[in-house]
Amino acid sequence: MKLQFKNIIAVLAIAFTFTACSNDDDNTPTGEGSLKLEFDNVYKSADLAFNTAYTNTNGETIKVSKAKYIVSNIVLTKADGTTYTVPKSESYFIIDEGTAASTLLTLPNIPAANYTKVSFGIGVDQEQFLLGADGQGNFLAQAQAAGMMWSWSAGYKFIAFEGTFTSAAVTTDTTFMLHTGKTGTDYNYATVTLDLPENALVRTNITPQVHIMADLAQLIDGTNKINFGDGAMVMGGAKLALVTANIANVFEVHHVHND
Amino acid sequence: MKTHFLWLFVLPLLWRCSNDDSEDYQNIPIAFTAPANFPPIAYNFANNPLTEKGFELGKKLFYDGRLSSDGTISCGFCHIQEDAFTHHGHTFSHGVGEAIGTRNTPPIQNLAYQTTFMWDGATDHLDLQAVIPLTSPIEMNGNFNDIIAMMKGDATYRKLFKQAFPDGEINSENMLKALGQFMVMVTSSNSRFDKYRRNETGGTLTTEELQGYALFNQKCASCHATDIFTDNSFRNNGLPVNPSINDIGRYRVTELPQDLHKFKVPSLRNIEKTAPYMHDGRFYTLEAVLNHYSSGVTTSATLDPLLQNNGVLGIPLTDSEKTKLIAFLKTLTDNQYLTDPRFSEF
Repeated sequence: MKLQFKNIIAVLAIAFTFTACSNDDDNTPTGEGSLKLEFDNVYKSADLAFNTAYTNTNGETIKVSKAKYIVSNIVLTKADGTTYTVPKSESYFIIDEGTAASTLLTLPNIPAANYTKVSFGIGVDQEQFLLGADGQGNFLAQAQAAGMMWSWSAGYKFIAFEGTFTSAAVTTDTTFMLHTGKTGTDYNYATVTLDLPENALVRTNITPQVHIMADLAQLIDGTNKINFGDGAMVMGGAKLALVTANIANVFEVHHVHND
Repeated sequence: MKTHFLWLFVLPLLWRCSNDDSEDYQNIPIAFTAPANFPPIAYNFANNPLTEKGFELGKKLFYDGRLSSDGTISCGFCHIQEDAFTHHGHTFSHGVGEAIGTRNTPPIQNLAYQTTFMWDGATDHLDLQAVIPLTSPIEMNGNFNDIIAMMKGDATYRKLFKQAFPDGEINSENMLKALGQFMVMVTSSNSRFDKYRRNETGGTLTTEELQGYALFNQKCASCHATDIFTDNSFRNNGLPVNPSINDIGRYRVTELPQDLHKFKVPSLRNIEKTAPYMHDGRFYTLEAVLNHYSSGVTTSATLDPLLQNNGVLGIPLTDSEKTKLIAFLKTLTDNQYLTDPRFSEF
């Protein structure tokens, strides 16, 4: 039988359909791309804004004037369970509510894959402290410029959360400062692992953006409560361990854009 | 004919390769060996290997006033070699803007054998220690980014950083490592006492000094232990609290009630040169120090148990015992370290 033209078209059409169906989710994406982490600070159910009154369950009303924290040691988990760790020396960032650009991290050279989880640390980890200055690059200088260096102990402020508060007992605006970091007794470093509600698809031509909500109210009005009336300068001791434990409930991924 | 022109290119390259002053990284290690009579090394050299150029860069930084905000206060301004790197005669030192501190300048010696630094142990890594006086507003008031900009504009620093570190970067990491290399090298281990301990020539102690040493081991060495003369612990030695300062000591770092008014046990090496004494420099003479221990110790919740025995406060000492102890303590003076040109400013 002679090959009829329309038969050839039919076969080719069917063949194209099959190839088109299998193209959507590459089983083995190759190359590298970028991934963005956006840190969106909120206070309970409102977007965090400076000089706006928020009331805690302990009856203290606060207004925030500074909210900064160190994000570090970012690890991304792929759909197949394996992980990609951002090189340590490139994995220290200062998120500053007062500097919009700092709240969006663009991580380059991420292997193309479908990512299901992101994990990061708040602060500088014990391993880095034990190395001394080794591997820090210029981060100390950067931290000093951002007011995130603890000069008196040659360390870092992991979190700097400052403002004023009032309460039934404290009727005039009184400054509060919460600084966490390594003390003589605790490292106060916390690791957070977040599931992504939808996969982040890193490709050579797709840069996903992971929108992370950070409810800073959890730091002082979470599982553990910090009463500024008991001491408005919280910069050491056992209270820092309480705040560090609260970090577990601060962060959540709201959504992921893949475009 | 054409090959002659090629030599014009090759010869300059050969010249550069053999030039000792080249800007390439120079991996010339410095061996660090512990003297036989010292406790084990505590510093981890793996993270910051000693090299000749690293040490040279660290020394240059140590004596450079431009690290301070007003260009005048270098580390060496308060840490003066001939006073065992303390600030002779000064209870407290004055930093930028004539600001006065609240603690006495400690010596720089044998830091490789110590595990915490500063009177309150605020940091436990030597390479990070420099951050404290460098950035303190009342000491050097330094800003890392300004210092880095200054060094990037200085040809000598540019060359030294390239020679001292494989990545040649002028950044806070390399700057601190260089300072760490300088500080860790400053060793005092050749006093007459050391020579006596190692049975070397020049190691003879007089009868009085030997009696002082025996007394020392009996009454002082439980805290001022080993040939480094400190056990690296924090203790309250019964000094009455100065109410105008109320220095809480180690408590600031740990916020543990048991650490209130505790300070690091200092090394007594070169004690003849490091007056005045104690964390706040309140005693001008060794006699005053021993008088404190024999009759000046005050009780408090955190007073060290070793200073309260059977209701007796302090360490009972007769005048004769004090004389002998002081004679012994003077044998810890190490003129080799005090004048070692490797550590000198000029």
